[in-house]
Amino acid sequence: MSPSTLSPIAFPDVALPESARQLRTEVRAFLDEERARGTVLGRPDSWLAGWDRDFSHRLAEHGWVAMALPTQYGGAGRGFLERYVVIEELLAAGAPVSAHWVSDRQAGPSILQHGTEEQRRFFLPRIAAGQCFFSIGMSEKSSGSDLASVGTRAERTAGGWRLTGTKMWTGGAHVNDYAIVLARTEEAQDRHAGLSQFIVDLRAPGVRIEPIRLMSGEHRFNAFHLEGVEVPDDMLLGQQGDGWQQVTGELAFERSGPERYLSTFPLLVSLLRELEQRTATAEQLTQIGILTARLHSVRRLSLGVAAALDAGASPDTQAALVKDLGTRLEGTLIDTVRSVLPTPADPHATPGSHAELLAFALLHSPGYTLRGGTNEILRGIITRGLEQNR
Amino acid sequence: MNTHADTRTHTIDTNTPVISADDYDTAAFYSDPGAIAVVTNTTPPNAVALPSPQASTAELLAAAQEAGRRAVPAPFAETALVARPLLRRAGLPVPEGPISYAIAPELTIRYTHPSDSAVGSAGSSGDDDSLLVTGTLRRVPWARTATTVVVLATAPFGPVLFTVTPDQAHLAPGANLAEEPRDDLHLAALEVPAAQVRRIPRELLEEAELRAALARAALIAGAAERCVELTTAHTGTRAQFGRPLSHFQAVKQEQARLIEETALVRAAVQAAATPLDTGGRPARFAVAAAKTQASASVAEIARIAHQLHGAIGITQLNPLHHATTRLWSWRDEDGDEATWAVRLARSVTADTLWPALTTAP
Ligand SMILES: Cc1cc2nc3c(=O)[nH]c(=O)nc-3n(C[C@H](O)[C@H](O)[C@H](O)COP(=O)(O)OP(=O)(O)OC[C@H]3O[C@@H](n4cnc5c(N)ncnc54)[C@H](O)[C@@H]3O)c2cc1C
Repeated sequence: MSPSTLSPIAFPDVALPESARQLRTEVRAFLDEERARGTVLGRPDSWLAGWDRDFSHRLAEHGWVAMALPTQYGGAGRGFLERYVVIEELLAAGAPVSAHWVSDRQAGPSILQHGTEEQRRFFLPRIAAGQCFFSIGMSEKSSGSDLASVGTRAERTAGGWRLTGTKMWTGGAHVNDYAIVLARTEEAQDRHAGLSQFIVDLRAPGVRIEPIRLMSGEHRFNAFHLEGVEVPDDMLLGQQGDGWQQVTGELAFERSGPERYLSTFPLLVSLLRELEQRTATAEQLTQIGILTARLHSVRRLSLGVAAALDAGASPDTQAALVKDLGTRLEGTLIDTVRSVLPTPADPHATPGSHAELLAFALLHSPGYTLRGGTNEILRGIITRGLEQNR
Repeated sequence: MNTHADTRTHTIDTNTPVISADDYDTAAFYSDPGAIAVVTNTTPPNAVALPSPQASTAELLAAAQEAGRRAVPAPFAETALVARPLLRRAGLPVPEGPISYAIAPELTIRYTHPSDSAVGSAGSSGDDDSLLVTGTLRRVPWARTATTVVVLATAPFGPVLFTVTPDQAHLAPGANLAEEPRDDLHLAALEVPAAQVRRIPRELLEEAELRAALARAALIAGAAERCVELTTAHTGTRAQFGRPLSHFQAVKQEQARLIEETALVRAAVQAAATPLDTGGRPARFAVAAAKTQASASVAEIARIAHQLHGAIGITQLNPLHHATTRLWSWRDEDGDEATWAVRLARSVTADTLWPALTTAP
């Protein structure tokens, strides 16, 4: 019924399988146990800041890490919709999922798709067991939005490659095991050609990790120096020269998930808890209702992308659309929470108190619309998708 | 009062699509505001026909969106999504043609027979539910062209659904910003025979509100899509500084936001289809979210569409106004965003918000 000009924003309708309902109940029970243990603290942005190896490991024991990977590689073979249910439950609860986040979301699917059989057999079972954690080494000092300008070089050696350069903003490089690094293997006229991806051991000689502190003082990301790091041939990921296609092919996975609209959701729950001790005015309720409607609607779009991925499609334009809407909503949520219940944000207030959660969400907020591709760039992708469809 | 009775049927030939921006057949649509679009060609994608009674709610919503997109000059969504299902649920016959509705708690309703207390089957007619109704049905959509108006009200014996025909009332014509008929119907001690009256459960009264709100949200989703179509067609062809508008970064950014906001509204409407059929709490949540989102998005959608159209968009020369004036009207009709947002917010607590958001799908 939609005219052709709209198809880049056409989203499949979603119906979660009955198994997903069952799964949700199981994850909620698991989260209740973890709450009792004191590991799930309802904190915002837990997929960036909640780094807990043991939590990831326990989650993996339930089969909930890398659950969309095939069973032959240690995955649960359960598809993207069921994975969606698990990760949205974890994020809404503010569970500490950042240790396995990148290996679950990107490294696993990427190694499955582009890796050699040996790489799959080595890495995937470890990822699925919650015992092998990855970082993403894409950005550099002068390569942010313009990623094709990366300057990190990989030179041929006898048994492999020597990598030289500095990656920036590498989340978790100081605590993770490996990084997937985008480097230039050839000088080509076309900037998108001659790029390749490598799996780099973060404890290899020549790797130097330098902390970069967030505004809040937290150490989450790093400058990741590659000072002549030797990478064996069998750690080239995918085909030499295909780096750009590989990187952009993953974007739909990276951009549309529930982490792109739920980062600040725990703050809304905290607000509702605060309001339960007083009588809310119509104005307060209106703001909360409008926010709730938007969360509900964005979730629906985000699920639509998961359904498309599950069906084997590559909904890149739709993913960009969801990420722009979702990450803006993460910020709007903070504004609404402030306006509904004015509270001075206080990083030193009791951990878990409303004032402390607000401070945390706020100090992280500028990152929401930057990480994984800035919103200005995403909107360019949306209009390009529209033009290509004409 | 029903001045348009003779021009009630207006046939639109959809063998020529009315979709593209330039040949949008506004003349046929708007020369007669009382006309009812009956589309002869029922083959998608160009058909806007009243779906069959067997159509699913999702299909009805899709058809209502299409009606909104084309600014169909008839109570299409009102008939298909609100009036017909309500009549069916109440066990009354469903008449042919366009039907409108009024949810009117403020009517004064008495039994036709003298004693209000004499409830039962004691009357000479053998049925005591015939009513005497006084009051005004306000801003009834398309009342002047409807064959029947379904009224939901509260009678002495509880919630009631009954039908009136516009010629039984004094009709005071009115309109919304888009000049769509919104007529007041004054009922002066109107006698409604028992055959047209049904006692209904309170849930049906609530379902009527939900259906009306969702129908309106679906129309909004359609008109929003129309804004996207018209805007992208315009920015792709209109050139300034030697380039089409669509080549400018600032224009791209705004256009993407327009597309996003539209996708959001459509998703919210789609998300309500299944819950509406099952009813209960999920229906209340999903419909409240859909109407809140649809109404709340209107400002942004209309703002961007007009901004990117430049001056031409504020005139009647350009079809954009058909969409935007409807959007501005529809966001307030059947409950504005604040009304539904409050209902939505009241339905959740810190512990139930996430379960409510994940009930469906
Ligand atoms: C919390 C966080 C975690 C991150 N984690 C990682 C990680 O683990 N690994 C990794 O590799 N990277 C990571 N990044 C880096 C991230 O991918 C980059 O920040 C992002 O790609 C933007 O690049 P930039 O910061 O250099 O901004 P720039 O590209 O310099 O852009 C600055 C501003 O200019 C705008 N702009 C730039 N070009 C255009 C254009 N053509 N049109 C319109 N506007 C434009 C941008 O939208 C932005 O608003 C992370 C970033 C954050 C904030």
